[in-house]
Amino acid sequence: MAEVSWEASAPRVALARRDLCRAAVRRCSAPLAAALSRARAASRSCCSAAWASPSAAVVRTFFDEVFSAERTDLFRWRRRSFWRFRLIWDLMFATATECTSANVLRPKLGRGRRPYDRRVVTDTASIRNFCIVAHIDHGKSTLADRLLELTHAVGERQMREQYLDKMDLERERGITIKAQAVRLSYPTAGRTFELNLIDTPGHVDFTYEVSRSLAACEGAVLLVDAAQGIEAQTLANYHLARDAGLAIVPVLNKIDLPAAQPDETARELAELVGCEPGGVLRVSAKTGEGVTALLERVIEAVPPPEGRRDDPLRALIFDSSFDVYRGVVAYVRVKDGILPSHAKVRYMATGLDAEAEEAGVFAPEATPIPELGPGEVGYLVTGLKDVHQVKVGDTITVTGRNRAHEPLSGYREPLPMVWSGLYPAEGGDYSVLRDALDKLKLNDAALHFEPETSQALGFGFRCGFLGLLHMDIVKERLEREFDLELIATAPNVEFHVIRGEEVIVVHNPSEMPPPGTYDRVEEPTVLATIITPAEYLGAVLELCQSRRGELVDMKYLSTERIEVHYHLPLAEIIFDFFDQLKSRTRGYASLDYEPWGYEPADLVRVDVLLHGEPVDAFSSVVHRDKAQQYGRQMVERLKQLIPRQLFDVAIQAAIGSRIVARETVKAKRKDVLAKCYGGDITRKRKLLEQQKKGKARLRRVGKVDVPQEAFIAALRVDQRAGSKP
Amino acid sequence: MSDVPEPRGSVHDPESREPASIYVHVPFCLTRCGYCDFNAYAGLDHLAPRYVQALLREAELATPAWAGERIVSVFLGGGTPTTLEVADLKAVLMHLRDRFDVAADAEVTIEANPDTVDRSKLDGLLAAGFGRLSMGAQSFDRGVLGALERIHDPDSVRRAVREARAAGYANVNLDLIYGANGETVASWERTVWEAIELEPEHLSAYALTIEPSTPLGRRVQSGVVPAPDPDLQADMFETTCRVLGEAGYRHYEVSNWAKPGFECVHNLGYWQRRPYLGLGAGAHSYRDEHRWWNIRPPEEYMTQVEAGCLPVGGEERLEPSDAYLEEVFLRLRILEGVPSSWVEASKAEPFLESGLLRHEDGALVPTERGMLLLNELVLALTG
Repeated sequence: MAEVSWEASAPRVALARRDLCRAAVRRCSAPLAAALSRARAASRSCCSAAWASPSAAVVRTFFDEVFSAERTDLFRWRRRSFWRFRLIWDLMFATATECTSANVLRPKLGRGRRPYDRRVVTDTASIRNFCIVAHIDHGKSTLADRLLELTHAVGERQMREQYLDKMDLERERGITIKAQAVRLSYPTAGRTFELNLIDTPGHVDFTYEVSRSLAACEGAVLLVDAAQGIEAQTLANYHLARDAGLAIVPVLNKIDLPAAQPDETARELAELVGCEPGGVLRVSAKTGEGVTALLERVIEAVPPPEGRRDDPLRALIFDSSFDVYRGVVAYVRVKDGILPSHAKVRYMATGLDAEAEEAGVFAPEATPIPELGPGEVGYLVTGLKDVHQVKVGDTITVTGRNRAHEPLSGYREPLPMVWSGLYPAEGGDYSVLRDALDKLKLNDAALHFEPETSQALGFGFRCGFLGLLHMDIVKERLEREFDLELIATAPNVEFHVIRGEEVIVVHNPSEMPPPGTYDRVEEPTVLATIITPAEYLGAVLELCQSRRGELVDMKYLSTERIEVHYHLPLAEIIFDFFDQLKSRTRGYASLDYEPWGYEPADLVRVDVLLHGEPVDAFSSVVHRDKAQQYGRQMVERLKQLIPRQLFDVAIQAAIGSRIVARETVKAKRKDVLAKCYGGDITRKRKLLEQQKKGKARLRRVGKVDVPQEAFIAALRVDQRAGSKP
Repeated sequence: MSDVPEPRGSVHDPESREPASIYVHVPFCLTRCGYCDFNAYAGLDHLAPRYVQALLREAELATPAWAGERIVSVFLGGGTPTTLEVADLKAVLMHLRDRFDVAADAEVTIEANPDTVDRSKLDGLLAAGFGRLSMGAQSFDRGVLGALERIHDPDSVRRAVREARAAGYANVNLDLIYGANGETVASWERTVWEAIELEPEHLSAYALTIEPSTPLGRRVQSGVVPAPDPDLQADMFETTCRVLGEAGYRHYEVSNWAKPGFECVHNLGYWQRRPYLGLGAGAHSYRDEHRWWNIRPPEEYMTQVEAGCLPVGGEERLEPSDAYLEEVFLRLRILEGVPSSWVEASKAEPFLESGLLRHEDGALVPTERGMLLLNELVLALTG
């Protein structure tokens, strides 16, 4: 399964890949080299897997983007009302860090049905399907707002003012639906064009989802902040769009800013997409300047969809959501044929048949229509109750004689990239956690979980996430919405342990076989693209080197800005790499990365022993060079966290049977109230009862009592050993 | 748990009642010490006459309920009871003897501060019937006294004890505190030896405990003064045990040592869970698994009593599980220990092995190391 995903890795930087492949062939084992050459030959439309970036900064930027009017920071936000907070997470969750006005509108399905004029079937020649791709904070949502206004999709001033209130209300009633594609009508030159603006998630966790959204379009507006210039996600998105065969409309935004350098940035952008600098449109989404010209350009540059009404139906699911009343709502792009609103349909990948109950478009209210024709974008309700039956990337066709036989290409299961154990702090909450995960899974197809037992933490679940952001969101939602207190083990990547012909997939460090019982271990790697001002190049290289990185290439985008490609182990960047990068470049560098195959690495499992007993929750798989450092740091941290017991407690870090670090928590000698007379007894008894309750919350590892908090603190990601250079 | 202890005695059968005690609280002090969180106030001396009247009145109010109890000890604590006039103290004691069935040979203790007693006062106290004197010495190290914010000089303790002996006191206790900032095991050992030289019949040695609500507690919290090091206090405890043992004192409670026969009857009452009546502001009373306590602020206490009401500020009824927990943690403080049958053998076993507990006459008794870890023992044995 894993091999397939690596084959599917999208070509991004041709030169880099060629070099990498050559290096790989020279260096690596035959199967890996073969996989890499297959990857080289893989289809251009194939997409890279979704990967993670652990960035509080990204999250914060997102908040700023969404609520730029308020400019509140994440932490003040946290203290505000629950619903507003939940809204934020849901938004992030649903649309992954960027929010266009399309999904802000949140129309209700099937309510206030407004008959949509379908007497005239839209000619595919009048349809344009496009998306806006941009680095975070480059003004994507503002531009979407302007487009909605310009096409009168929404009444004059209602959207910004209304959307929060409306969301709160809808959230409380739990009947929200995100509109991932909004239909705009734009009359020009005597014709009315049907423009479908399709939203794309912006975060690297969701690259696969982005690629599916792109597959629903024929064109992409590549939006770049004229003051910031090209950033890593600009590149990533551009390459994804180009690989998807989309027509690119390069656009500079924020030209009204005093700091804007439109000429400079236009040159960069023109060079990237291969056009003349004069061909780069200049707009200000804030003032509306140039937006009409942009719409005209979209109509001109983006080709109309192909596809014939007579062909068997093939509709791509590019997103889905869950509505408590209607079940799963699939967002679809009809490639061929007609999707009628009432028919028996088949989901080709899952092989599931269902009855279509309602088809419609977002205009921008959810509006039922009798059918979706070729090239059209809309939604389909089939009454299925589980998002796992409606998979992003799947193809819908009809049943019976007219069915299609070949599904659209590019489908694959969302693959978790980061794994972590989730345990209830209170053992009794196990069933609550299980139910909560079941419920979350209803509208999160990417969440994986399976029961797991830890000696130290009891019963819990090993969960797979698309990335750290995804993990944080899931944990946060479990804690908030289900009132759970959770202990999360340190996240880890998926390791492959090779023993002869056998590949053992390890999701949990404690499952790693003992040293000497296998041939080698392979870990996932990524190709990272970093764009940095030239003055910080040294700092960036230093950081990447300290993370076992291998420089692939670099090139000057302009005299001041450099694009660097590094080949890095995923495990090295999943923790705080992005934060480190930001802090070492004063926030100027940007990062994107894509999976780049498994490679052998000298990885060892470091165990932590308390009083001679290994604590499975603290085991970690790290590179041999960092094993001692990891062991030392864990042992030192635990020494601060483990309370003194009635005996000396040895805290040891070991690789196999070799102890690499040791500390001792000396036995407690004194724990007694000096005075206990008539007036002290009641207070003293209550104190003891408190202590008794505290004891009940301790977890016992062998003979050692370890408080909950010690586990939580020791497993905190931001302090993890090996992650600080 | 097995064999929860039966309440001893019964309301309806005064003959079977076990001996009871009376505690009288005097909330006045010359100054407030930085470590002290007792219900005590400096600068309220002008209230003393009214307070004494309130004590007498409260005793009257309590008489009907406690008339049948056999009182084997009276304890005047504080605060500093000796801030009151001898005549007032005498009046209080006389009143108690009139109102309650106080045994002729009852142990009657008064707490004293070295600076509040002189020869004539001591003469008066002894004559009034206060046969046991408990002196707050705290330390014989000037540095330690300074760290504790005690105003007295070590010499005034020696003087006060000499004068007490001269007045005829045959039962004197000295209170000592160890583990203050700057104190070493060696300086503490000197203090213990200095105390022994005064030949008190009884010695209390307390590890300094930082109470958050006190000035010292606030200084520790803000980091101005380091918190006492528990390991150092454990060393000092062991030193105390050794030195006092050599000097012929018997270690009969966590913080108390006595020459044979001079164990404090009154305090043993608390640890054996005998009934006690508390009079005065904030005083606690206990009888038949019922505990209640008086209003703490002296003004409010007096107002209530003057209105003819019992000045109760709060109460609790002890459930059998509460009573069991109290029995265990109080009895483990003293050498009597708890009967083995009260505790599951499997729970006691590890501690017998590790030497924190020992068997003695069918009871589980803490060893010296066990006394230092009493909280752990109690939690494990009752858990």
